Amino acid sequence: MRFSYEWLCDLAGVKDVAPEKGAEVLTMAGFVVDHVSVIDYAGIVVGRIESQVPHPRSRKPLWIHQVDLGTETRQIIAGAPNAVPGTLVPVALPGTTVPGGVTVRDGVIAGEAARGMLCSAAELLIEDGPEGILLLEAGEPGQPLSAVIPNEAILDVEVTANRPDCLGHLGLARELAAGLGRSLGRDFMPRFTGGVEPKGTDLIQVDIEAPDLCRRYIGAVLSNVHVGPSPSWMQRRLRSGGIRPINNVVDVTNYVCLEYGQPLHAFDLDQVRGARIIVRRAEEGERLMLLDGVERSLNPSMLVIADGEGPVALAGLMGGEESGVTGLTTRILLESANFDGVNVRATSRALRVRTDASARFEKGLSPELALAGARRAAMLLAELAGATVHTEWVDEYPRPQDPVRISFPPERIDAILGITVPREEMEAGLTRLEFQVQTDGDGEWDVFPPVYRLDVRIAEDVAEEVGRSYGYDNVPATLPAGRRGRWLPFRPSQERTLDAARNSLAGAGYDEIVSVALVSSRVLEGLGIADRTIRVVNPVSDEHDVMRTSLAVTLLQAAALNRQRDRAALSAFEMGRVYLGRDDGPEGQPDEIQRLAMLRLAGPEPDEGRAAFLQVKGAFERAAEVLRLHDISYEPATGVLFHPGRCARVLVDGRPAGHLGELHPQVMERFDLPGRAVLLEVDVEPLLTGGRDRRYAPLARFPTVDRDLAVVVGGDLPAASLLSTIRDSGGELLKGARAFDEYIGPQVGEGRKSVAFSLTFRSPERTLTDAEVDGELARVRKALTGAHGAEFRA
Amino acid sequence: MKVISRPREIADQAIAAIQAASDADALEALRVEFLGRGSELMAIPRSFGKLASDERAAAGREFNQARTSIEAALEARTRDLERTRLDRLAELEPIDVTFPGTPPAEGRLHVLTKVQRRVEAIMESLGYRIEVGPEVETDWYNFEALNLPKGHASRDMQETLFLNEAEDLVLRTHTSPMQIRCMQRYGAPLYVAMPGRVYRRENVDASHGAQFMQLEALAIDSDISVADLKGTVQYFAESLWQEGRKVRFRPNYFPYTEPSFEFDVSCGVCSGKGCPSCGHSGWLETGGCGMVHPNVLRNGGVDPEQYRGFAWGFGIERIAMLMYDIHDLRLFYDNDLRFLEQF
Repeated sequence: MRFSYEWLCDLAGVKDVAPEKGAEVLTMAGFVVDHVSVIDYAGIVVGRIESQVPHPRSRKPLWIHQVDLGTETRQIIAGAPNAVPGTLVPVALPGTTVPGGVTVRDGVIAGEAARGMLCSAAELLIEDGPEGILLLEAGEPGQPLSAVIPNEAILDVEVTANRPDCLGHLGLARELAAGLGRSLGRDFMPRFTGGVEPKGTDLIQVDIEAPDLCRRYIGAVLSNVHVGPSPSWMQRRLRSGGIRPINNVVDVTNYVCLEYGQPLHAFDLDQVRGARIIVRRAEEGERLMLLDGVERSLNPSMLVIADGEGPVALAGLMGGEESGVTGLTTRILLESANFDGVNVRATSRALRVRTDASARFEKGLSPELALAGARRAAMLLAELAGATVHTEWVDEYPRPQDPVRISFPPERIDAILGITVPREEMEAGLTRLEFQVQTDGDGEWDVFPPVYRLDVRIAEDVAEEVGRSYGYDNVPATLPAGRRGRWLPFRPSQERTLDAARNSLAGAGYDEIVSVALVSSRVLEGLGIADRTIRVVNPVSDEHDVMRTSLAVTLLQAAALNRQRDRAALSAFEMGRVYLGRDDGPEGQPDEIQRLAMLRLAGPEPDEGRAAFLQVKGAFERAAEVLRLHDISYEPATGVLFHPGRCARVLVDGRPAGHLGELHPQVMERFDLPGRAVLLEVDVEPLLTGGRDRRYAPLARFPTVDRDLAVVVGGDLPAASLLSTIRDSGGELLKGARAFDEYIGPQVGEGRKSVAFSLTFRSPERTLTDAEVDGELARVRKALTGAHGAEFRA
Repeated sequence: MKVISRPREIADQAIAAIQAASDADALEALRVEFLGRGSELMAIPRSFGKLASDERAAAGREFNQARTSIEAALEARTRDLERTRLDRLAELEPIDVTFPGTPPAEGRLHVLTKVQRRVEAIMESLGYRIEVGPEVETDWYNFEALNLPKGHASRDMQETLFLNEAEDLVLRTHTSPMQIRCMQRYGAPLYVAMPGRVYRRENVDASHGAQFMQLEALAIDSDISVADLKGTVQYFAESLWQEGRKVRFRPNYFPYTEPSFEFDVSCGVCSGKGCPSCGHSGWLETGGCGMVHPNVLRNGGVDPEQYRGFAWGFGIERIAMLMYDIHDLRLFYDNDLRFLEQF
């Protein structure tokens, strides 16, 4: 919210504190000042327009003005036609940087001299909206502008949701004063009441039919109202708060809203049909034209203010068009009410209408504030619009605010804060914030927060107030020193356990990526992996409308992005969750499964795809091995993402854990990726929990003997079958066997392939002789021939 | 008449030649010439049979002395030559030491993984157990139990992505639901740190993301205070950065803590004096914290009359941005290799 620093200081009785210092005090009190804009009008003077003619040669519409600056007349060109002769305007002289940021220079525009700038309200940071040159209401040519519009500081302050009492200058001024060690010295409740007959209660009748949504409704009646412009000091303060002045009646309601934080509404009483107000839920389909000129369709979840014939305002949000104050208004009904915050918020969201009033009501205002605001507004209307204020206002208050008393021993505050605050300092700080403190006979405190502080309910809340006034900088830094009789033993988290695999994969050349888990349903559907998708019902965009069901998507997106940025080679992995809806009910929490996925791009040739497949497989097996000792095996499989002849199911200790395969060419095309790519995606859980513990194996004392064996078999016989036969037939002396080459070609004949194995033999008791190893090898050959019809190459 | 050389003469001749040899090849040639099977010296013992036994002993001695002296000379000259070669190594085998190194084909861990490791290690050093939980949460855990009742304006502080029309299943907007889950799982006293992904309904820009990482710590014990919270946060700041980094608490509002604060850490560039890196304030906004609201303790099944707690947390990206001077949140999730390769 925008606050006028001048206004705050006026209310707080502060004269000598610079805006930056004030901003720091507020920030440390919990009201973050995002920005201080000091509006300095140095170099800007008042000018009177003597003449205005259109620029004869410019293509853009421009007007040439002769402007009287008191001691001289200057020619100035402007792009707006509203500075007609006789008007007073702000003139920025060359060399000046105006508050809006433009620096004015002496120049020539399409052949005509331009020796200054006529300023708009936006350029002076007075008001955002209106087009055209700001026309001044007073001033003499040549006077500095600051004599007419004082220099000003605007604070942009974040008021937290629990402090709606500070959505007005009075509340924040109280905080500023308290932060400077002073009291506000001004009663929250104005004493002003009307005194003229007839009674307000005889002029208007108010019924609250929905007391759950309207806690209080005050209706003051004022007559003999003279609608006209409000005084310039009020207009200036409204502008500082970002509100455009309209007329004195509307301006007073807005002014009091900015001052007290209580939204008010003025009805033209003569437009209130039947001289009665009914606060009720809207009827289904009931329609209301609001002040913004848009007609809305309502329903019974919404609260309206109705007169004898129909709705005239949407409670807590906006008045209706028909009953608003106009230049002809002479009698007004001043509404100061308290509406339920949750309901106002719901209506605001449903109709997408947000106003200064709804922003305040939805935070939950004190109903006591309604009376303070009504009295303040009536007083100002009497003063500024000559209004006659009738005695005895309507005040329907079906659910009065309960007084709050918080009782606790003051030591409790010390315990919460971790420091002993002297009792008199505690009390003084609370008193500055208008809390009352009473001490019981047994030393216990009764604390009564001010009526507008609905956020203070328990001792912890009071501790916060004490801490704020005493200063959290005075609280020491300590570590918890409790004697803990119970503890949780250290266990590395799953992520940190997985770090060993991460390190291994990085060492093998794979970059780790981390992706947003929200992806596009269109992409998942295109890939055919949209089963069990969890959908966001209110996505920001359709690029992020579902949770990913596979890490393939985000890896492929990363590959595509890097290709667009001229990084064609990519080997990457991601460890992250996929989110799978459960069959047993879409309303429950889904399965969130932690997975590892790897992607490696390769060239277009079939062999390049095969090589990448084996590289991913090898790196994965090493990464799995550093976690636990696993038996990892593969069996031919198919999957929607994969090349039909190049896909395997990955089994970790015999349990299916995921897939490894070359991606289907259509998948590559979808992501605009050339060449081939290999993807592995497996669940992490079997890697962490299955397998065997690591145990030291004694180092061998005798040398090993290595033998290679080239086995020629049918082309579709998996290497895994051959290996299994070799291991089974190799006997005790065979310590290891691995396949290291595969050959398909003319030397082995059509439909056949040669697979080369390396076999390692060793005895724990002696050095093996060639003859012994040859014997072992002969048995393996025989088994291979018997089982697979294998032949052998030299 | 054939002149039979005496061994000593052969030795003298050999030693002279050896001492004149200039490299290992020449020495090897001399070894073959003087000690090889066909050499003159090695032929001498074959003639011992003709000698008388007393002469034989003297000739044998003479032969052995000659052979030993040649061998010694060979060895000495070999050592000399090696010493000379070592002395000249710089001229013999120079390389261009400024030539660029061959980089290993290693990949890199993501910067968020690295930062998360670091902050988790700091929490563990204080005895906090790391705990993770679901990202898809119920309304009760994400809001209700944390003192954020339905329809309350404070829910607007966290724009929410809903997963069903009833709006009771959400992508968690913070890691705080884990406070409740951990209290329910372990009771009190309790020291846990809870990292994880969180989601907000935000338009993505340099400082907002639809998804980011938080780490939140919760301590519940019988006599715990704001001072303990401040010390813990300061310990963290000094562990992550340098000793002497200061922490400032600014009062703020979170429905699930009371009192609540935002914490700032003094700027490491200017030590709090104010500089461009900290926006001239001397402080870096780092995270939020507070004393756990009694209602939240109650919702987790912990008796607020017996225990108090504090909770504090921050965005992991925020820490990474401060550590590495990164100014755009989107970089973390684009996975542009040019970014990833810098860490």
